[in-house]
Amino acid sequence: MSRRRIRSILLKEWALLFTDVNSALIVTLVPLLVVGQGIVYIWLASKFAGGSMLTTQVFQIALQKLVVAIPGVAQLPANEQLLVLLLNQFNFFLLLIPTMTAISVATFSIVEEKLSGSLEALLATPVKTWELLLGKALAGAIPALVMTWISAGVFLLVALGLGWGDLSRFVVTAGWFLTLFLLTPAVAILSFMLGVAGSSRAKEPRGAQNTALIIVLPVLALIGIQITGIVWFTPLLILLLALAIGIADFISLRTAVRLFRRESIVVQWR
Amino acid sequence: MAVIETFGLSRHFGKTAAVEDLTLTIEAGEVLGFLGPNGAGKTTTIRMLAGMIAPTKGYAIVAGHRTDRDVEQLHEIIGILTQTPGLYDRLSARRNLEYFASFYPSIELQFQVEKYLKLMGLWERRDSRVGTFSKGMKQRLALARALVHEPKVLFLDEPTAGLDPEAAGEVRHLIRTLREEGRNIFLSTHNLNEAEVVCSRIAVIHTRLLALDTPEQLRRRFFRRQIVVQLEALDARVMEVVKKLSFVQEVRWEGSQLILELSDSERNRPELVKAIVEAGGRVIGVSEKQYPLEDVYLRLIREEKGNES
Repeated sequence: MSRRRIRSILLKEWALLFTDVNSALIVTLVPLLVVGQGIVYIWLASKFAGGSMLTTQVFQIALQKLVVAIPGVAQLPANEQLLVLLLNQFNFFLLLIPTMTAISVATFSIVEEKLSGSLEALLATPVKTWELLLGKALAGAIPALVMTWISAGVFLLVALGLGWGDLSRFVVTAGWFLTLFLLTPAVAILSFMLGVAGSSRAKEPRGAQNTALIIVLPVLALIGIQITGIVWFTPLLILLLALAIGIADFISLRTAVRLFRRESIVVQWR
Repeated sequence: MAVIETFGLSRHFGKTAAVEDLTLTIEAGEVLGFLGPNGAGKTTTIRMLAGMIAPTKGYAIVAGHRTDRDVEQLHEIIGILTQTPGLYDRLSARRNLEYFASFYPSIELQFQVEKYLKLMGLWERRDSRVGTFSKGMKQRLALARALVHEPKVLFLDEPTAGLDPEAAGEVRHLIRTLREEGRNIFLSTHNLNEAEVVCSRIAVIHTRLLALDTPEQLRRRFFRRQIVVQLEALDARVMEVVKKLSFVQEVRWEGSQLILELSDSERNRPELVKAIVEAGGRVIGVSEKQYPLEDVYLRLIREEKGNES
């Protein structure tokens, strides 16, 4: 029965998501903006700063760690080393897509139900809180994931178009795939659950999004940590990170279920 | 057999009592009207009975399930129409109903959805977006949603509030149809006429239960039975004769109407008419004076407010 209920929630969420212009734009435009922005930054850095950027101490440390992780990079000219370094941040940069999409979908989904009164009717049915939240989480996470993967494909195509194709062997590595197919789903679910937690306290979507956007900061921090050479995320580290976030997903689902108290929703959510 | 039983059911929000010591029993096949002013605790009571909020004190049993303990089982067998229809405006009527129906394991989904869309007169508009519906249509769809899984007990929270008279009439007609089917209905309403037309018994609440009885018995509690004799014209001779009748306890006239209290209003009625006719009075009709339920309700509420102050 749980599977039927979750599937039903998921399909209803999608029907609502794709009939609302704002939500549909968030799911489709945000990823394109993220990809576009990332490519422009990298292009500008390689075009105008070039290999000279690598002379700064911060980048030198990062480069040393990159060379340890991918030894072939040492043979490249300075300008291409910079490009590889920057392009390797892109998989983390892509994490902004599931984060932002899932938070938006979560907050709109729950706060909209709260405002329309449908949540009260829903809570009088036999649907369990975890079924409801998981159905909604998947409804937010799946489009976010698909868009992230499409964005990754678009990024690779643009990189080829810009003549960076030769460098792809240093970018599309095991770490790239682990980030896309393991870390991204885990981050998407976590973002959704934080969106739910934010929504359970907020009275309107903006408030919920403000609370939940705190997850964007750790994602940006990942990029910062890697590009400044503090830690280079090897495939093993990415795997461990995905595992940790997977555990956080489970804990956050339980926390969200606890925060999503039916009584306070019925009595306080107006 | 009792379908709903409450035992000292109370709910406080902080220091404020929303419902206090509510004890009542509702029998199978009954439509209970739950009346009270705004903030009297009607919605809070429905939410407690529907297992959506827990009581602070006391407990309730609905169709054999404790509302504070057996919430999952309870939600399988109750239907609720909340104050706002709470539908998804961007989905069709059918999709809305299918969604809610899908949470109940034991029903034949498509059959039930079609049955209730037809019953509510929405079958022709089944594929239209709910956002394009009138308030009355939305309310009928919300009622269909509450019924789609054939609940044992149906809670209706002000089902005609905010509807125009025509739409309210349609909803009321549907509730009467459900009553004829022998459904167990708990109807919270502000509308006293609605309560009288639809309900078998009426409970008046103002945080605590003020009265619970049939509309007729509630009237009798406050107003003595009075007989109205409509005459073509009233003259002094008729009045004199009537006053002398031993079974007439009180008499007054309003225009060409005589209003009387009799020792036994059923048995004494033929003798009364005979005496009036013999005194030369021309009787157009005899009826019982009907006090609107509103008068009963207002007296109950005023008394309660008087007690509070």
